[in-house]
Amino acid sequence: MADHSSHDPLAGIPFDRVPPSGAYGAGGAAGVTVATTDTPFIALVVARNGFAASVAGRLGRAFGVEVADQARAAIGAASTVVGTGPGRFLVLSKTEPDLAGTLRALLGVEAAITEQDDAYVTFDLAGDKVPDLIAKGALIDLDPRVFLPGHAATTVIAHIGVTLWRVHESGWRLLVARSLEASFTRFLVASGAEFGLRLENGTAGRG
Amino acid sequence: MRIPCPYCGERDAHEFAYLGDATLTRPDPAAAEAEQAFHDYVYLRDNPAGAHEEWWYHANGCRQWLRVARDTRTHAISGAVAARVAGEPA
Repeated sequence: MADHSSHDPLAGIPFDRVPPSGAYGAGGAAGVTVATTDTPFIALVVARNGFAASVAGRLGRAFGVEVADQARAAIGAASTVVGTGPGRFLVLSKTEPDLAGTLRALLGVEAAITEQDDAYVTFDLAGDKVPDLIAKGALIDLDPRVFLPGHAATTVIAHIGVTLWRVHESGWRLLVARSLEASFTRFLVASGAEFGLRLENGTAGRG
Repeated sequence: MRIPCPYCGERDAHEFAYLGDATLTRPDPAAAEAEQAFHDYVYLRDNPAGAHEEWWYHANGCRQWLRVARDTRTHAISGAVAARVAGEPA
């Protein structure tokens, strides 16, 4: 892993390439760690008119979590259900390769399902300085006293559309469209350098 | 300017796209005066100084259309409801 100076942590890295894994910015213990190594299976569920409550209930029972039709992340051992709009849910699973098929069987005519496995890059941010980092690009209040574990938001950070939620006390997960991975990673590196940032890239999509 | 989205909460106006007057009703195309009515519906707009109702699309959020009550003199926003919900902004 390369070490990149705090003077210009992105020096020499082409703007259209994802910065490589390594330590960026201030030395010592990293204030923020960023990992894109987890590649969950993802599907979007859009409830048909009048079925939002029923779909929320079915998703909750199937994945063993409490799902409500609001901007929250219901986090289970193997699956997470995130509300992104009225009657709209992103479902993430570690264990269901055919997640869309499973959801179609579960929800039938109550919802439209689309597979999103390779649509998003999953950024896992950890560390006490994460709120200070994303505050540099966010338009919403992500103060840890206000934005609690289980809270979710679909918004823009650094002019890039993201869906994010707080997984636990010092862990946040951000979904970013895959084609914007390089740009968003550059924002994270540039904004996190003052805290010391450790980046661990994943592999490309499943193709 | 911040818009109180019923689903997302208070959000910056940059997340939204503006459409315009939310008080118009599409005329009946079968009516005798339909041509004139559609001309007025498509082209004629009031420019009120004060309370106004308008459509905003929450493009970078829940992707829903909102009916927003805004004062055109102060930009004070007194309420917003989802377009899919009938009724007046709060």
